[in-house]
Amino acid sequence: MASKTQASRAMTGKAVTRAPRDTAHEGFLNHKRGRWAKVAITLSVVALGAYLLTDPVPRHNGGTWLGYLLGSIGAGMIVWLSLLGVRKRVIGSKPFSLKGWTSAHVYLGLSLIVVGTLHTGFQLGWNVHTLAWALMMIVILSGLWGISLYATLPERLSANRGEVTQLQMLEAIRTLDRQLDIAAQPLDADDAALVRMSLEECRIAGSLGQRLSGNYANDGNARALATIIEKVMTGRRTGRVDDRLAQIEFLLERKEAALAQARRHIRMKTQLELWLYVHVPVTIALLAALLAHIISVFLYW
Amino acid sequence: MSFIVRQVAKRADGGDIIRTRTLVQAELTVGRGTDCDIQLADLAVMLRHARLVQITAGKVSVETTGGVPVEVGGKFVTRADLAVAENPTIDIGPFRLSLSPGEDGAVAITAERVVPPIEAADAAHETSIFSLSGAMPTKRRMAWVGGLAVLVLLLLVPLFHFIGEGEPALPQTMVAEAARPVTPGQGFGDGKLSVPTARPAAAGGFAPDESWSSGMLSDAHASLSNNCSACHQKAFVSVTDGACQACHTASALPDHAAPARMAKGRLPDGGVMGAAHSAFNLPQGRCTSCHKEHEGAATVMTVAESFCTDCHGGLKSRLADTAVANVPGWAKHPDFRATLVSSPSADKPVFTRAALSGAREKSGLIYPHDIHQSTTNAVANMAQKQRLPQGADGALPCSYCHKADSDQVRFKPIDMEANCGACHDLAFARDGGTVRTLPHGKPAQVAGIIRDFTLSESFAPRAGVQRLSFDRHLPGKAPPPLPGGNPAARAQAAVVSVFTGKGLCTECHVVTDTGAADLTRRFAIAPVSINDHYLPQGQFPHGKHKSYDAKTGQAACVACHTGVTKSKVSTDVNIPGVANCRECHGAPAKTLLSTTAKAGASCDTCHGFHDGVAPTGALPAGHVQPARVAGRQAAGRSRQTPA
Repeated sequence: MASKTQASRAMTGKAVTRAPRDTAHEGFLNHKRGRWAKVAITLSVVALGAYLLTDPVPRHNGGTWLGYLLGSIGAGMIVWLSLLGVRKRVIGSKPFSLKGWTSAHVYLGLSLIVVGTLHTGFQLGWNVHTLAWALMMIVILSGLWGISLYATLPERLSANRGEVTQLQMLEAIRTLDRQLDIAAQPLDADDAALVRMSLEECRIAGSLGQRLSGNYANDGNARALATIIEKVMTGRRTGRVDDRLAQIEFLLERKEAALAQARRHIRMKTQLELWLYVHVPVTIALLAALLAHIISVFLYW
Repeated sequence: MSFIVRQVAKRADGGDIIRTRTLVQAELTVGRGTDCDIQLADLAVMLRHARLVQITAGKVSVETTGGVPVEVGGKFVTRADLAVAENPTIDIGPFRLSLSPGEDGAVAITAERVVPPIEAADAAHETSIFSLSGAMPTKRRMAWVGGLAVLVLLLLVPLFHFIGEGEPALPQTMVAEAARPVTPGQGFGDGKLSVPTARPAAAGGFAPDESWSSGMLSDAHASLSNNCSACHQKAFVSVTDGACQACHTASALPDHAAPARMAKGRLPDGGVMGAAHSAFNLPQGRCTSCHKEHEGAATVMTVAESFCTDCHGGLKSRLADTAVANVPGWAKHPDFRATLVSSPSADKPVFTRAALSGAREKSGLIYPHDIHQSTTNAVANMAQKQRLPQGADGALPCSYCHKADSDQVRFKPIDMEANCGACHDLAFARDGGTVRTLPHGKPAQVAGIIRDFTLSESFAPRAGVQRLSFDRHLPGKAPPPLPGGNPAARAQAAVVSVFTGKGLCTECHVVTDTGAADLTRRFAIAPVSINDHYLPQGQFPHGKHKSYDAKTGQAACVACHTGVTKSKVSTDVNIPGVANCRECHGAPAKTLLSTTAKAGASCDTCHGFHDGVAPTGALPAGHVQPARVAGRQAAGRSRQTPA
C-alpha cells in the first residue's frame, strides 16, 4: 500500500516535471519562443511611439534628438547585423549560439525597417543619405525574401531529387551522353550532327536567366530531340522506321528528363542562393554608404 | 606496300593502351564506320572520312571521301601528297594521324585522340553547375566593386572637392537681397515671412558634394545649392552665425535684444540635451538653432513656437526688469496692451501703453463714429447726395476713410481733405461762379481770409457774393446776418463765428479763445494726433482678414471692431482683444477628424524676431522708439498730426 502511494506520487512527480523542449529541431525563427521577435517588436513600437509623440519643427528628420538617437541605434544595429558573416565563420563561439545569433539577426534586421525609416523622417532625395537607406531596405527585403525561400524551397528541393545526389544527377546525364555517343556511331553526318548538338551544345545550368526561368527550349538537347522526333515520326508515317534513330530518340528523351530534374534542382538552388548574392554585396555597399553618410553629415554639420 | 597502324586509347587511370596492327595493302580507309581500316569513334568524323594511298615508297597521298576536309600542316585540304620521311600529321576531327617511316618500307601511322572527348557532365563542374558561382561573379567581387564604388564616388570625390575648394564666391544678387533691411508687414499672417518664391538656379553646374545634401535648400538659398562651403565653412563644425551674417548683415537683421540680456533671459540648456549640445559644441541661440535649412522650398523661416516660449514663458523670473509679460503660449497669451495717444501734439505726441479694458485715447479730435456709420441720418443723406461710396447696408463704408496701405497691412494716414473734405468742405461763400473755401490746418490763414472777406464786403460789396451757412443740418438756409457796427467789428464777429460757431472748426476740433489782440492768433486749435498702430509689437495684416466669420466688407470690419458703430466719442478704443483672435487662430477647424487649426497660431504669425531691440520702460515722448535700431522704425511710425 505504502509502496503504491509512493509509486503514484512518483508518477505524479514525473507528470508535473516539464519535459525539456526539443530545441535541436527548432528553427531560428522560433528560437527561445521568439525572444528576439519580442525584442524587435518592442524596439519598433517604442521608436514609432517616440516618433508620433514628438513634433519637431519644421519636420522629423535625422537631425532632431530623436533622429540622432534612432540613427545611432540604427547604425549600431547595421554593423552588428553584418557581423553575422564573421560570427558564422567562428564555429562554436560563445556565449550565444549561432541559432540565437541568426534569430536576433532576422528579427532585429526587420525592426531596422522601422528604426531606419523613422530616422529619415521620410525625407528622401537623391543623395548619399537616401542611398544608405535604400541599400538598407534592399538588404532587409532580400533577407526577407531569403527567409521566405528557406521556408518553402528545401522541402520541394528534397522532393524533386528523391534519393539522388547532385553528382548522381550529373552521372546519369553523362551515362546517357556516352550511350548517345555509341548509339550515334553508325549514323550519317546529318543525324550525327544532331547527336553532337545534344552532346556539345547542351548546357545543364546555363545563364542566370535560364536557371531562374527554367526555359531551356533553345538548348542543344531540346533542339536535337525535337528534330529527331520529327524524323522518327516521318519514318513511322512512311512505314520505314530507322531503328537507330528510334534508339537515339529514346536516349534523347531520357536525357531531357534527366536534365529537367537537374534543372529543377538548379532552379531552386539558384533561388536559395541568389538572395545572398544581393544580401551580402549590398550589405558591404551599405556599410560603405553608411560610412559616407555619417562622415558627410558631421563634416557638413 | 604495308601500313603499321598504332591506335592509342586513354585508360581511365590515365595510361595509354596501344594496339598495333600491320595491314599489308596499298590503301587505307579512315572513318567512323566499323568497316574502316582506321576507325575513329567520334561523331565529328565522317563514316568514311578519308583514304590513304601509298603512291610510292615513302610517299602517301590523303584524299577525303566524305566531303569534309582534313587538316594537314595547319591547312584544311581535300587532297594532299605527303612525304613520310618528313613525319607529316593529318588531323581528322579530334584525332591526329602521325605518319612516320616504319620497318621494311612500311608506313607507320599512329592514331591518337588529341582533343579530349566532350564531357557533357563532369563531376569537377558540380559546383559551377549547381551553384550560382557558375553564372555570376562571386559575392566577394561584387561586394568589393559596390563598396569601393560607393566610397569613391560618394565619399572620396566629394571630400577632395571640399578640400580643394577655395573661398566660396557668394552670388552678388543674393548678398544684396539679404543685406536689405526687413520691412515690417512683409507678409505676416500665415506663420511664414514671405521669402522669394522664384527658385534661382545655382550657377556653375553640379558639384560632387551636392550628393551630401540632406534635402532641398529653401528657395531663398537655392543658388547656393552647389556651393556647400558657402555655409559649411569648416569641417566638422556646425554652420556658424558668421556664415549667415556674411550675407544677412547685422543692420539688416538686428539683434532681438542685447546679447547679454538674451543670454540671461534664455532658458538654461540642461539635462541630456544640454550635455549633448555642449559635448558637440552646439551652443544655444545660434541662427541654426531656429532656422533649419535643407528642409524643402519654403521651410527655412519656419521656427517652432517653443523657440519663443522657451524664453518668454518665464522671462520675468530670469530677467526681472523686463517690460515684456510672460507668454507661456498662445492659449495663455496675455491680453493686448494698446499703445495709445495720451497727449496729442503737432510734433511730439506722447504714447502710453494701457490695458484694453477701459482704455481711453486722447487724440485731440472730435469724431463720433456712430453718426458717420448711420444709414438714415443727415450724414448718410449727405453721403448719398455727394455720391460717396455706399456700404452694403447703405452707410458710409469704413474703407471710405480707412484706406489700406500698399502692403494691405495697416491703413494710410487719415487725411482731412481726402477723407472728410467731401462733406466738410470748409466753404464759406459763393463768389459768382466760385465757391470760396478755407484752408485746413492753417487757423491764422483762416482768420485772415474771413476778416479780409468781411471787410471787403463792407467797403465794396459786390453783386453775386453770398455768405454760406456752415450749419449742415438745414441746407439752403441763409446764414444769420452779422451783427451791426463798424466794418472792423463785423469782421471780428465773422472770425469769431467761424472759429466758435456750429458747423465748422468746432465740429471736429477743440478751439480755445486765447483772447489775443491779433485776430489771426486769437483762436488756437487743440493739436490732433491720430494713432496709426495700436499694437506695434505685432503685425496684423488687415488685407488677410477681409472676410471674417463668413462676413465681408464693412461687416467683417465691425465683426472685430465691434463697438465702432455705437462709438460716440473718439476717446473710445475699438481694438479687439486677444480673445477675438483666438476665435480662428489656434481654434480647431470645424471638420470631423481634423484637428488642424483654422488659422496659424505660432508666435511668428504676428511677431517678428529680428525687429531690433524692443524699448524698455515707459514709451518715450514721440514714440519714435530710439532703442529700435532698424526694421520697423524705418517703416515709418510716421505720425500724422493734422492741426
